[in-house]
Amino acid sequence: MASLRVYIIRRVLLAIPMILILLSIVFLIMRVVGDPVSAILGGHAPQEQIEQIRQQLGLNRPVFFQFCDYVWQLLHGNLGRSLIWGQRPVVAEIWDRFPATLELSVYAFLISIAIGIFTGTMAATHRNKSLDHVFRLYGIITYSLFIPWIGIMLQLLFGVYLGLLPIGGRIGILMEPKTVTGLYILDSFLTFDPDSLVSALKHLILPSVTLGVYLSGIFTRLTRTNLMEVLEKDFIRAARARGLSEKVVIYKHGLKNAFIPILTMIGLQFALLLVGAVLTEITFSWPGMGTLLFERVSYRDFTTVQGIIVFFALIVVTVNLMVDIIYAYIDPRIRY
Amino acid sequence: MKKKIMTGMMGILLVLPLVAVCGTPAATLASEGKPMVLGTTDKITVLDPAKTYDFYTWEVFQNIGEGLLKYKPGTTELVPGIAESYEVSSDGLEYTFSLREGLKFTDGEPLDAAAVKWSIDRVIRLALDPSWLVSAFVDRVEVVDTCRVKIILKEPVSFFPSLVASTPYLPISSESFPEDKVAEPVAGHYGPYKINKWVRDVQLVLEANPDYYGPAPRSEVFVVKFYKDAATMRMAVQTGEIDVAWKTLRPIDVIDLRSIGKQKVLEAPGPYIRYIISRCNRPPFDDVRLRKAVAAAIDRGRICEEAHKGTVDPLYSMVPMGMWSHIDAFKEEYGERNLELAKKLLTEAGYSKDKPFQFELWYTPTHYGDLEADVAAIMKESLEETGLMKVTLKSAEWATYAAEYIAKGTMPIFLLGWYPDYIDPDNYTSIFLHTEWSPDMGVFYSNPEMDELLDQARVRVEIEERTDLYTKVQKLMAEEAPVIPFFQGVLTAVVQPNIKGVVLDPVMLLKYYLIYRE
Repeated sequence: MASLRVYIIRRVLLAIPMILILLSIVFLIMRVVGDPVSAILGGHAPQEQIEQIRQQLGLNRPVFFQFCDYVWQLLHGNLGRSLIWGQRPVVAEIWDRFPATLELSVYAFLISIAIGIFTGTMAATHRNKSLDHVFRLYGIITYSLFIPWIGIMLQLLFGVYLGLLPIGGRIGILMEPKTVTGLYILDSFLTFDPDSLVSALKHLILPSVTLGVYLSGIFTRLTRTNLMEVLEKDFIRAARARGLSEKVVIYKHGLKNAFIPILTMIGLQFALLLVGAVLTEITFSWPGMGTLLFERVSYRDFTTVQGIIVFFALIVVTVNLMVDIIYAYIDPRIRY
Repeated sequence: MKKKIMTGMMGILLVLPLVAVCGTPAATLASEGKPMVLGTTDKITVLDPAKTYDFYTWEVFQNIGEGLLKYKPGTTELVPGIAESYEVSSDGLEYTFSLREGLKFTDGEPLDAAAVKWSIDRVIRLALDPSWLVSAFVDRVEVVDTCRVKIILKEPVSFFPSLVASTPYLPISSESFPEDKVAEPVAGHYGPYKINKWVRDVQLVLEANPDYYGPAPRSEVFVVKFYKDAATMRMAVQTGEIDVAWKTLRPIDVIDLRSIGKQKVLEAPGPYIRYIISRCNRPPFDDVRLRKAVAAAIDRGRICEEAHKGTVDPLYSMVPMGMWSHIDAFKEEYGERNLELAKKLLTEAGYSKDKPFQFELWYTPTHYGDLEADVAAIMKESLEETGLMKVTLKSAEWATYAAEYIAKGTMPIFLLGWYPDYIDPDNYTSIFLHTEWSPDMGVFYSNPEMDELLDQARVRVEIEERTDLYTKVQKLMAEEAPVIPFFQGVLTAVVQPNIKGVVLDPVMLLKYYLIYRE
């Protein structure tokens, strides 16, 4: 057990330089792409006003000191203030929008895993039969599809032609469940608000299916490959020899053992999930982090854009760290 | 056991959405108290009259605010707003406005002469993008008494009343807005609507202002939904999620919706114009022959028909069609298109087939809609048809394009668009052609004859005299071609069949308070 502890500590320490490198890349890129002062003031501002804003934002200091400042503030949970007039703290801006992205991601992820594992298992157990070919093809096609395209097709089918589901937004006009967590579905549950619940769920279906389908392909292929490999193993043959039903063999013994690489993939997929969420949110006008990023890029709100990227990056690093630790916990042979 | 609970919860999470679909009919929203919903792909940039300088935010301000004077819906005629009447001194320098009595901002502060003065002074003091609309004309503002305010001009300006109707002149409350910096409070305005809730880039909820002196808005609650992309907005109007699809649907969607015929497509010519700007003070376009060659060679018809599917009209002057004094100046000078003339001018300037005139033509890819790249490509092709020009297309995002490249003169020749600040030919000419302002637009054009004409037209009051002057301005502009207009936009709104009161007028700012459901 001690070695696991050492491993965890080493992994956490290793994450620190990684985060620092990442921060400096983001920071430098944001400094290269343009001038935040002209973004704030427009093209007609007098020189003294420009100087005043530069002073206020600390832009008159050497870049290295600006970076140290930024990291120091970050350690205190401060991502700076938005350059948009009103100048809210970036953390508050992110906090307003993050629950929407979290809600979308959780559902999309559940959908992708459910579809992926189901189709993958079907493919593996019907090896080289037509069902296998169909699901393999499914895996390749969904993985190579473009998210806005899937979104628009679903919007057209379920929104325009069938008229069943709304095509954009997070909840009906003027509706708003009382905020507990910011997750509308959970909030409307907790506050017993059935109208909001129904509306929020209806708005959630198309975006989460879009993102879910897109991500499911890789799980399909992964589950298929791993399960097939496991089903060749001796212990499966032994289980069959003992007369266990095929269902028990596949689901209890086979799938469980095929799960370790899938778990790693879940961690790695997390970054893809966030990228996918950005595109999905734009397609569905979903008011989350993705749309926030998209909007703020067009406003040239440097601090918010930087804050969102750092926030995304920290999430990905944390999730990967957690997956590595869980992985090491499940499989004691792993100590890098 | 744990596993079962987990599986159960996952099941619930997955199944719930399905239950929701089956359980409720789609039409539950269509009840009596349903708010009016308008969709747009535009956005509110900054909700402060001293800073905002874009057409959409001005539209919002014309609904939550009101000027001393305002436009009568459907016309360019000015009528009393929060000022009941006004007098002009005989020298044309002093405007005294008498305000309506007992008005209150939405934060409860009184709207009196002092508030009007405070608001106008603040715009001048902050010196931001739209401030020139005040500071270039107004010398000072004086409070005569609680209900009377006097605005003293630097020099007589014939179109001052239409300036007063513009957003930088809107009174705001000193209680909600700070004196020395930009802010975006949701209270402290005065107009037919007040803001109930605003979530930036998501939605704006307006409700009728009970303290408004005039008739109450036709819809009690008015919601603006902000879309990220035109395709989603098009589907939203098709499914009835929004009542009005406003700026900007793609031409292909408008054509499609019209042919499906379930929604009404409303159209009106708008004073929104597109043009090419040449940087006139540096090579290569300091050579007037090259500017004229471009003016003669561009194919306006193809741009309108191919890129915009016939939803815009070719334009031959900077003063838009439908505005007084407009003449087809470029058509008179060059015809619809004149490749022979273009070739002749280029040959004179020393270019040949072996040594074509090479230059970079700039555009911005999204600010003017998705079709801008197509417009630029057609422009390139039509210029290269002369056989003597070789065009390289370059693009930059709007923020960089507008805030950095234009004023610095980075781009030798580029595409731009114009929405009017005030409805007067001056607003379409002076800023591009007058020595004093043309550098701001990246034109860097200077011609004393032109300056003289423009200065004259500014101060004259008689419309015949001004028409005559602007005719001369347009002719001179076509001869020298520092700017080359190519099309005029059409305003399009797609509305549900039971929606009334969508008035598309030359002022182009949609009046939400007139829209209602039958």
